[in-house]
Amino acid sequence: MPDPGAEVSSAASAPRFEPDEGWVPADERLFGLDRRTLRPTLAVFALVFIMSVVLPVINAAVPYHDIVRAGDVMELEGNVTFVPEAGWGITSGLREGHGPISGQYPAAATIEHGALKFTVRTGPFHGDAGQLLDQIEATTDALDQGRGVHITGAPATIVTAAGKEGATVRVTGPHTGGLIAAFVFGDRGVEAVATGPTDAGAEPSAAVLRMIGSISQSGQEKR
Amino acid sequence: MTTTLPELDRARDVALDLSGWGRRFVFYQPRNFAFWGYLALVGIGVLNFFSTLAREYNAYGEAIGLAVTSFAIYAALFWWFTDRIDHYAKLPHKLMVVAFVWGGFAATGTMAANANDAILAIYGKTFGQVWALNWGAGLAAPFTEELAKGSGLLLLIALAQRHIRTAFDGFILGAFIGLGFQIVEDILYAMTSAGTQFGANQIGASVGTIILRMLTGVAAHILYSAIFCAGVIYLFGRPAEPRRIGRGLLLIAIPMLLHGIWDSVATIAGQNALTLIGLLIGTIVVALIIVARVYQLTVARERDFVRDVMAPEQARNVISPIELDAMAGNRKARKAYRKAGRNRQERRRARYILDAAYALADELAAARGADIDRVRFARSEVARIRAGLPSPW
Repeated sequence: MPDPGAEVSSAASAPRFEPDEGWVPADERLFGLDRRTLRPTLAVFALVFIMSVVLPVINAAVPYHDIVRAGDVMELEGNVTFVPEAGWGITSGLREGHGPISGQYPAAATIEHGALKFTVRTGPFHGDAGQLLDQIEATTDALDQGRGVHITGAPATIVTAAGKEGATVRVTGPHTGGLIAAFVFGDRGVEAVATGPTDAGAEPSAAVLRMIGSISQSGQEKR
Repeated sequence: MTTTLPELDRARDVALDLSGWGRRFVFYQPRNFAFWGYLALVGIGVLNFFSTLAREYNAYGEAIGLAVTSFAIYAALFWWFTDRIDHYAKLPHKLMVVAFVWGGFAATGTMAANANDAILAIYGKTFGQVWALNWGAGLAAPFTEELAKGSGLLLLIALAQRHIRTAFDGFILGAFIGLGFQIVEDILYAMTSAGTQFGANQIGASVGTIILRMLTGVAAHILYSAIFCAGVIYLFGRPAEPRRIGRGLLLIAIPMLLHGIWDSVATIAGQNALTLIGLLIGTIVVALIIVARVYQLTVARERDFVRDVMAPEQARNVISPIELDAMAGNRKARKAYRKAGRNRQERRRARYILDAAYALADELAAARGADIDRVRFARSEVARIRAGLPSPW
C-alpha cells in the first residue's frame, strides 16, 4: 500500500514560462501574421476554390444534349409515366425501361425546350386532385413568400387522355407564366408544372397540354 | 531505463511538452492566418445554412423543429461518448467546439455541397442520368466530403499547434468534425424529406429519414472523419507523432472507400432486399471493426503520456504501481483494477481513486508538472479517498 505521506517533491514550484498562444517569433512574422499559418490556410482556400468555383464552372461549360425521340416515355417513382414531346431536351429524369439498378426511379423529371420548362413530380398523397392543388399552392406560397410565381384565377378541371380527372390552375410571376396541374392516382399525387416567358403568350402550348394529358400510372407501385 | 525521481520528472516534462496536454486553447488569434480563414469559411457556411433554414421554415416548420430537436439530442449523446473516449491526454473542449462547427458549416455549405452538385451534374452529362443515379453519389461524396471535413484539421493544427500533437488528437477532432457534418447534413435531409409529400404530412414524411439517419449515422461521418484525420496526422507528422506516409495514405483511403461503398450499397445490392440489408449491416460492422483498430493504434501514444506523467507520482507513492497500470491501460485494465476489491465498498473506492488520480494527472498537465497548490490539493484528494475519509468540501 503506498504511503500518501511519503511524497518528496523535486518538481518545480511554478510552471515553466510558455509564451501566449498569440505570440509569434520575430523571425516567423510576415505583415504581422504568423508565416507558418499561411501554407495550411492557403491550401484549404485552394481546395475551397476548386470545390466551389472550378467544379461549378466546369459543369456550366460542359454541354448537355439528351433529346427526346418519338416514342420515348419518362418514368417516375411509383410507376408514374408521361410522354415527353419529341425534340425537347431531358435535363433530369429517366426513360421508362432504363431505370437505375436499384429499380427506384427518381421522384421528378424535367424537360426543356428553349425557355419552356416542364417538370413532373410525384409523391405519396392522401386526398383528391383539388386538395393536392391546394397543398401545392400553400407550400409554394410559403416557400416563395410572395417573391416567385403566384396563382392567378380559379382552379379548373383537366382530364388526361386515359380519362383521369385532375385540377389545374394558372400561375404568373415577374417574367414567367404557366400552369400547374395536379392528379391523384390512389395514394400517389402527381404535380406537373409548365413555365415559360410571359411574352410567349398566356395560353399553354399544345405540346404542354399533350404532355399533361399523357400522365398516367401503370400497374402496381414497385416497392 | 528511467529510475531516479529527477529522471522521472524530466520524462514527465518531456511528455507534457510533446503531448500539449493541459495547455489552454485561445481561439481569438488575430495574427494567425488560419483564424481568419476559419472565420471566413465557417461564416459563409453559417449564412448558407441559416438562410436555407429561414427560407424553408415557413413551409416545413414542423419537420425542421422535429429534426433540430432530435438531432440535437443525438449530437449530445455522441458528444458525450467521443469526449469520454478522450480520457488520456485530453484536448480542450473549446477545440472540440471549433472542430464541430467546421464540420457543420464550412465543410458542408461552403465546400462539399457545391462540389457534389457540380460533380453529379458532370457525371450525368458525361455518362448519362442512369449511370449518375447508380454510381454518382458513391464516386462524388467520398472525395468531396472527406476532403472538405479533413481539410478542417489543417486549419485546426495551425490554430492549435501546441495542442494537436498525436494521431489520436486527429482521431478525436476528426470525430467532432464528422459529428458536426453529420448533424447539419441530417437536418437538411429531413428538410428535403418534408417536401416529398408536397409539404403535407411533414412529420410522417421526415420521421423515417430521421430514424434511418440516426441508426446508420453510427458508422458514417463521425467514424470516417476520425479515421481520415488520424491519417492526416500520420501523413504530415507532428512533434509527438513521427511521419508515416504509407500509414497516413492508407487511413485516408479507407474512409473514402467505406463512404463510397456505403453510398453505392443500393446499386451493388440491386433489387434484392435481403442483399441490401446484408450489405448495409456488413458495411457497418466492417467500419466499426476498422475504427476500433485505428483507436487501438492511435491511443497507445496517449497512454504512454499518462504513464510518463504519473510515473513520478507512483515513485512518490501517491499512487500504486497497479493504479498506474490501470490509468495507462485500456478499459479492461481499469475494470480489472476495480474488480480486484474484496467487497463492494473497496471496488467503489477503487473507482473513486482512479477518478481522483486522473484529476491529478489533469492538474499536473495544466501546471506543466509544477508542484503548485492545485496539484498538491489533487494529490491530497487521492490520499483522502484512499483513507476513506469524507470530503471536507
